[in-house]
Amino acid sequence: MYMFKYCCKRIGLMIMTFVIIIVMCFVLIKLLPVDTTTVGIGEDATKLLQQLEARGYNKPIPEQLFLYARRIVLNGDFGICVNIPEYRNRPVWNIFIEKLPPTILINIYSSLFAVPIGIALGIFAALKKNRWQDHLISTSVMVVISVPSFVYASLILYLLCFKYGNLPMQVSSLPDIVAAYPEKNLQYIPETFNWSLYFNSKMFVSMIPAILSMSFGSIAGYARGVRAELTEVLTSEFMLLARTKGLTKSQATVRHAMRNAMVPIFPAIIGEFISVMSGSLIIENIFSIPGVGGLYLSAINAPDYDFFMLLSGFYLAIGLAAGLVIDLSYGFIDPRIRMGAK
Amino acid sequence: MKKKIIISAIAVVLVAAIALAVFLPGGAPAAADTYTYRTYTSVSPSNWNELTYQDNNDTQIMSYIGSSFYSYDFKFDANGEPVPGEFVMKYEAATKLEDTTAKYAEKWGLPADGKGYSYTITLREDLKWDDGTPIKAEDFVYTMKEQLNPDFQNYRADSFYNSSTIIYNAQKYVKQGQTLETANNCDWNEYVLADLVKGDDGVYTQPNGKAIYFSLSEKFSYCSGYSVAQLANYFDATALAALKNLADESGRVAITDESIELWKTLINTPAWGNEDETCLPQYWVITEFEIPAMDFSEVGIFVGDNEYEIVLVLEKALDLLKEDGSLSYKAAYNMSSLPLVHKAKFEANKVAPDDNNSLWTSKYNSSVETTASWGPYKLVSFQTGKQYTLERNENWYGYALEENKGLYQTDKIVCDTVKEWQSAWSMFQAGQVDGIGIDVSIADEYKGSDRAYFTPSDFVSSMQLQSSKEGLKARESDGINKTLLTYQDFRKALSLAIDRDAYAKACTTSYLAGFGLFNTMHYYDVENGGVFRNSDEAKKVLCEVYGVDWTKYSNIDDAVADVTGYEVNLAKQLLTKAYNDALAAGDIKETDKVVLTFGTASVTDIFKRHVNFISNAWIEMAKGTPLEGKLEVETAEKGKTWANDFRNGAYDICLGGWSGAAWDPGYFLLAYLDPGYMYSMGWDTSSHMMTFTMKGVGENGADITETMSLMDWYACLNGTSGAAYDWSSNALEESQRLQLIAALEKEVLTQYYSVPIANEFSASLLSYKVEYITWEYNTFMSYGGIKYMKYNFTDAEWAAEVAAQNNVLDYK
Repeated sequence: MYMFKYCCKRIGLMIMTFVIIIVMCFVLIKLLPVDTTTVGIGEDATKLLQQLEARGYNKPIPEQLFLYARRIVLNGDFGICVNIPEYRNRPVWNIFIEKLPPTILINIYSSLFAVPIGIALGIFAALKKNRWQDHLISTSVMVVISVPSFVYASLILYLLCFKYGNLPMQVSSLPDIVAAYPEKNLQYIPETFNWSLYFNSKMFVSMIPAILSMSFGSIAGYARGVRAELTEVLTSEFMLLARTKGLTKSQATVRHAMRNAMVPIFPAIIGEFISVMSGSLIIENIFSIPGVGGLYLSAINAPDYDFFMLLSGFYLAIGLAAGLVIDLSYGFIDPRIRMGAK
Repeated sequence: MKKKIIISAIAVVLVAAIALAVFLPGGAPAAADTYTYRTYTSVSPSNWNELTYQDNNDTQIMSYIGSSFYSYDFKFDANGEPVPGEFVMKYEAATKLEDTTAKYAEKWGLPADGKGYSYTITLREDLKWDDGTPIKAEDFVYTMKEQLNPDFQNYRADSFYNSSTIIYNAQKYVKQGQTLETANNCDWNEYVLADLVKGDDGVYTQPNGKAIYFSLSEKFSYCSGYSVAQLANYFDATALAALKNLADESGRVAITDESIELWKTLINTPAWGNEDETCLPQYWVITEFEIPAMDFSEVGIFVGDNEYEIVLVLEKALDLLKEDGSLSYKAAYNMSSLPLVHKAKFEANKVAPDDNNSLWTSKYNSSVETTASWGPYKLVSFQTGKQYTLERNENWYGYALEENKGLYQTDKIVCDTVKEWQSAWSMFQAGQVDGIGIDVSIADEYKGSDRAYFTPSDFVSSMQLQSSKEGLKARESDGINKTLLTYQDFRKALSLAIDRDAYAKACTTSYLAGFGLFNTMHYYDVENGGVFRNSDEAKKVLCEVYGVDWTKYSNIDDAVADVTGYEVNLAKQLLTKAYNDALAAGDIKETDKVVLTFGTASVTDIFKRHVNFISNAWIEMAKGTPLEGKLEVETAEKGKTWANDFRNGAYDICLGGWSGAAWDPGYFLLAYLDPGYMYSMGWDTSSHMMTFTMKGVGENGADITETMSLMDWYACLNGTSGAAYDWSSNALEESQRLQLIAALEKEVLTQYYSVPIANEFSASLLSYKVEYITWEYNTFMSYGGIKYMKYNFTDAEWAAEVAAQNNVLDYK
């Protein structure tokens, strides 16, 4: 019962935080000046003013906020992109959901690839503590962590896609997928999720360079984390007790050491899966992934109010939910931890 | 055991990943016996609706799915080779163009003896949309109605009232229903004195009771865009002083019997052409003016005598035809086509106003389903931000034409969105893209490639120097001086200290040193191939501005070849002189440092490279002068408002320039003279006087010598309403106008507020797969485009060729 109350309280606080931040975002972005003076030779400067007037930019900000909230609640209308050239005149929600699947998939594939390898390397290094295997892994991990992911991306592009390998240099387009599988009668519907077009070998293969690029950092991160935690746990007194009561080293490690070591690691894994909806701007640009990676930056630079508000709200909600889920997850990995318990 | 399993699992996953990478078949597209042109863009198009598109990204698709009435084509020699720099005009989707001014003059109130105010365009009868729907004149009229639809306020509506092509009543139709707080009487209403109603207080009002005034401060198109106060020298000084006493704070004078008499005196001067009272309405402003509703039948576009004739009535004459009735180059320049939408699709994709927008909008031409083509290709797939594909439009009339046999070899065009140049470069080397720009990082290796080509641009990269003394003063602090920039000698020194040739090589991929406001892409006489920079007048300007005495040379070409714009010793002398003058005037102290702020939108490595070069050149120049060690350059990031910030005097130097109107340098001087466009707005071109003799333009070929402000000279050059002379291209030979264009260029250059330093060139590589018809850039036809593109390989052959080269093509 105390967990239920705790969850309700957290959700209530979450909603309040969400509303406060969103209102702040709305007001602050609307306070930014709109450039109405830049027109080319031969352009009518008044047309921009008319468009702004028509879109309600000259109304008081509270009224704009009310209208914005009303149209989302009543019509599910998050607005139209106005200032990002690539998406101009298109509904921001439609663009966003069309661009989510490749970002999510590449993140998930990357996590599925990185988590087991990272944990396995960490365990192996911990078990071989201070031996050459440990030194090799630890040094490699430090090197990999120190290098930003776009360097791997460039190297992978050069080595595996261009110089020595045959991997595609860019993620397949959806029309290409439709054309590649005529027998499946696939259909690309613009501005929708199009999930069915992402689960095929051509698409997967085209994602491999991006998946590898995004995995190296994660592998190193997990390996380092698991090694550190497990090393500490393996030297604990309860491990000695476990061995003295007759467990083999493997049994003691798997049954006792691993479980304790995973307390800080497991929430990180959950966090990684929750953050699959945020893309990497650089990786997406290098491999031409039509994902959400650069959207937020574009929305701020443009500035595009509706896109900015949608992305702010979406990622804020994800972030707040992730915080709650991660907090609750501690209890699953270690029953002694109970959030909200007195 | 478990240990081994773990190790084995890791090994298997890693090996599998690498094996997959190495042995998988390549990412090249499926090949067939077709010709596919593969290209890329860093920004995907979003909206290729002709009525609303906003930038060049959107025009990518538009260029393939539309047609033109008339077009330029190569002029071929006897061997079938394009003649460099020359062109011919051809009819395309139209079969005839007639000047029908006389026919419609009475009905539309056009000058009875005028030319170029009305044109009738006769369409081909076999024009069709890609779905087979016939295209007739009424479709163009419908489209123009939608283009100017006041409920939409379409982004491109101003193309027909704010450009050289002004359709009769277009602006009034677009803006109907809007209320203007103030408007010039003659632009919008045209009340005359008899229409006004005199009130009990002796003040005249509009018939509807709303106020009407004389204005001393309003800028009238009748006065070439100036206000009466600005043109004070032309008017009666006593009357002007009396009217100023009657005026309110905003320069308005109530219309009374007294002010009417004063105004009649004001304009009745020889300098102003001894105007009488019939001209009074030209100086009125009306208030709270609601633009009346208008039927589209009052707009100057309609179907002619048959269903294939479009009739245009224009407010400003265009000379689209030569004397012999053949097409002038301006036919393709000013009116290559009119916008055209597929009526059924356009109607189906209209979006009604909502909470988001109180105007109507349209989804037309934003996806495959909403797109219609009447050009050589049609859109078959489009993924936002990723890729679009076009294929042949078999319903395009052009494929059946004999003259196009053997042309348009391309079956399919695929354009990928690739944001990173490095990724595109890898794709190009792997045969997946058929052309790419040469980045500065590979310039040295690939500029000499036999697949490299260099495309000139009309853009002149210039250093803009601040002219607002107030702005400079305001940003000075103790020991920091900026006012020196207001000294012409100092600005000239800054110009002469830059080795433009070295600058272009060090800081750009393929730019060349630039010296004038115009480069070799600017034509003063297109019809006769007159390139401004190649004219003797323009060459003399460069010699005189950069200190080469052309009279000492046997010919002007030798003289201009010696122009370098790099004279460090002279720069040092000028710097010293400017410093001493400023010292004497108290504008600088001996202990002051001169710190110039170089601003930009974003301080990138490229920007730093440019600034470092220029800064080092200036520091070098300052050695041995009183400013040695005391001249510094700092950078400032100004974001999107960088240009307006500079105009407002917020920093000292920026790099900027203009492109556009390359075939009308006389008009394009606007960018350097009109405060609405100038970067350095502190320089008042409406009071900067120039004395000049126009040779052979007076009666019987006499010379005319005048002293006028630069803006007045500009008004004459373009025949603006109210100008002292009409020396526009309609009135004078281009060769005669050339002398004034050159004089104005020289006047601008010698102020050193806008200092040209480089002419833009872009360097590119072309794939082995395709060939242009020529490697020499043609201003009118570029390299021939998709129309003339030839293929060395089919798609299947190309895939085999790339594989044979181990997926790495060598372009060095």
